[in-house]
Amino acid sequence: MPRVHLMSDHRRFTGGEAVVEAGGATVGAVIAELEQRFPGLGDALTHGASAGVNGEIHSEPQYLEVDPDTDIYFVAPLTGG
Amino acid sequence: MTVTDDRPTYKWVGTRPIRHDGYEKVTGKARFAADLDLPGQLHAAYLRSPHGHARILSIDTAAAAGMPGVKAVVTGADFPDLDPTDPNFDVSVNVMARGTVLYNGHALAAVAASTRAEAAAAVAAIQVEYELLPVILTLEESMADGAPLVNEHNITKFVESDGPSNLATSNVVERGDVEAAFAAADLVVEREFDTAYVHQGYIEPHACVVDVGPNGKADIWASSQGHFMVRALTASVLGWETSRIKVTPAEIGGGFGGKTTIYLEPVAARLSEKSGRPVKLVLTREEVLRATGPAPASKSRIKIAASNDGELTAIDCWFGYVVGCTNDFAGLVGAMSVASYKFPNLKLEAIGALTNTPKSAAYRAPSAPQAAFAIESVIDEIAQTLDMDPIDIRLRNAVVEGDPTAMGMPHPRIGFVECLEALRDSDHYRSPVPDGAARGIGAGFWFNIGEQSSATVNLNEDGTATVITGSPDIGGSRASMALMAAEELGIDVYSITPVVADTESVGFTDVTEGSRATFSTGMAVVNACRDLIEELRARAATILGVDLDAVTWVDGTAVTDGKDPLPLSAITAKAKSTGGPLTVTASLNAGGAGPSFAVHCCDLTVDEETGQVTILRYTAVQDAGTAIHPSYVEGQLQGGTVQGIGWALNEEYIFDDAGSMENASFLDYRIPVASDLPMIDTIVVEVPNPAHPYGVRGVGETGIVPPMATVANAITRATSIRMTSLPMSPPKILAALDTD
Repeated sequence: MPRVHLMSDHRRFTGGEAVVEAGGATVGAVIAELEQRFPGLGDALTHGASAGVNGEIHSEPQYLEVDPDTDIYFVAPLTGG
Repeated sequence: MTVTDDRPTYKWVGTRPIRHDGYEKVTGKARFAADLDLPGQLHAAYLRSPHGHARILSIDTAAAAGMPGVKAVVTGADFPDLDPTDPNFDVSVNVMARGTVLYNGHALAAVAASTRAEAAAAVAAIQVEYELLPVILTLEESMADGAPLVNEHNITKFVESDGPSNLATSNVVERGDVEAAFAAADLVVEREFDTAYVHQGYIEPHACVVDVGPNGKADIWASSQGHFMVRALTASVLGWETSRIKVTPAEIGGGFGGKTTIYLEPVAARLSEKSGRPVKLVLTREEVLRATGPAPASKSRIKIAASNDGELTAIDCWFGYVVGCTNDFAGLVGAMSVASYKFPNLKLEAIGALTNTPKSAAYRAPSAPQAAFAIESVIDEIAQTLDMDPIDIRLRNAVVEGDPTAMGMPHPRIGFVECLEALRDSDHYRSPVPDGAARGIGAGFWFNIGEQSSATVNLNEDGTATVITGSPDIGGSRASMALMAAEELGIDVYSITPVVADTESVGFTDVTEGSRATFSTGMAVVNACRDLIEELRARAATILGVDLDAVTWVDGTAVTDGKDPLPLSAITAKAKSTGGPLTVTASLNAGGAGPSFAVHCCDLTVDEETGQVTILRYTAVQDAGTAIHPSYVEGQLQGGTVQGIGWALNEEYIFDDAGSMENASFLDYRIPVASDLPMIDTIVVEVPNPAHPYGVRGVGETGIVPPMATVANAITRATSIRMTSLPMSPPKILAALDTD
């Protein structure tokens, strides 16, 4: 299953776990499963984070396809000047 | 000097043609927003708060509305109240105060009149009753227990919140066992640092002209880093549909992140709507400094552990950013600065604190320079303590592909080591330090971003081309787009006209930030050209009477065995008879923006009588991936460096106790000028970004990250005093010398 790497702020939903696994063919599906297991986490990931997937950071990653061996890194939203 | 890593040879990419917009700019014919005048145009002026924080009890505009030449007056009551959860709520409140002024300079009314003088006179006649509220100016005041609220609508981002507070955001990143690493370390260095508010210092003040027609549609001409952003935010603040607004990008006289948001356009639009006349609104320099976003001030505590052989084993950082009156702080971006080093054990905490000061805004690599000043200073101190060369200690710990960033995700192919080696091998670093001078180095990092871009490429009948994009040319994007199109199509770069089109003439394009234009919009241009080449091959096959598979595209020519090559101009000449106009549009949401690293070196002297620092020599090294137009890349490196030197040595907002900025002019807010500095030498390193067809990495932001530490480290080596407070102005240096 895809491995989800959480920011410290999101670990309050997982009892402190920094990396959790969740099934799904897209980032959005993975988030949905996480919301089922850790209520509130899905909303936090959807509205308060960008996702690093396969070396690329996406601000709206919901429909990105992921494989069972994909690592998803949720990071603070990035902006620039 | 360029160091090239595995780069193909190109015909056009990497050359230095005269920029397509150059003639207009050097002859003064380029049209900036303030240059535009429309028939019947009015001029607008603002009423701004003289108080740092106050409730607006009443605004009486009756006298102003009746004054000579006045055609319209607006206040907060003329704008819809967005829900505080709306993502544009803070922008809306900053455009025009509702109920409360949050900082000295906050706009609370505006007047449009026949002349600017009449508008200013009417502004002076507006009567306002205020109830003064406590003014919070510092991080300590903001975070104190029981502190009055700066902004009653602020809800902390990214963490659980039980109601409004002065905390804008709080982020923590951790890995490894920091405490154990510190306990086992051979050396631990801990320092506290602070930096002042600084402004982006663009020469062109914000300006716009807005004409709302009888059909209710608005034409906006504005200076910005993204006219689709101007359209979206203006529509949101006004409560309009996006389709009511067309934004035409004017030339931009500098933005550096400060023009990634709006201030004027909804106000001018409402004044135009009420008066039925076009309205021009141009800020004064004082208004730019008082009411458009500076970069946050900051405080930080940095603790780094090292082994005796120079391995950096742990870092524990706390950053406090003073973000002004609203909450646009985007998170732990400043912590990205530590992504330059491996650090097996790491803890980073960053907070944003609200104050009754102008809403802060991005400045090149937002919040990274403040963090890099602190971290790179401590690393320099470790190198001094261990008697290590400052490049060697960085090479010992530099991240490479696969190493984790501060936020965990592995780095892609990056060029930090190559930058360090390029500086180590440079003439500057190999030259002895001049007598009486000292040398410092510093490093920096920025992620860069991708996001959405569109491009249309039209081939003309004679084989020339027009490349149309939606990215305002803030740093050479027109020339870069033309060069990439020339490389793809195989035609002369001067036969291509790059155009930055209005919001109704090109596909949606995100704001130019995150050093993204040449990367993302360039990729859209390349994709459009490649689709166009497929169409050209098909047209050539028709003309030549051969199968499509028999046609290849070689340097602007369709080639097939047994036939004369068919140049592009011969195909465009037969466009009508082979299927019609040759035009292609491409749009994308680009991922894979390649991070850019930089390493700087500075030689300077310190006058111990006056405290004045004189920069003798400065070299900026940076990985550009591939420099599409090297002169523009070098210009970005030089520009970021000069702004960073200003941040290091002179620039700061000075407020009185009531929150009034006391140095709101370029006379008193001192940015560097040419006579202050030597030529900034550049070394462009090219480690191609594998996610871009030409290997581009954005270069616009990283250059401002290293200078403050670079200069501070040189001053420290000159004076034997570790400078920890910016700016390192003559009074501060004298005070440090006196204390020592």
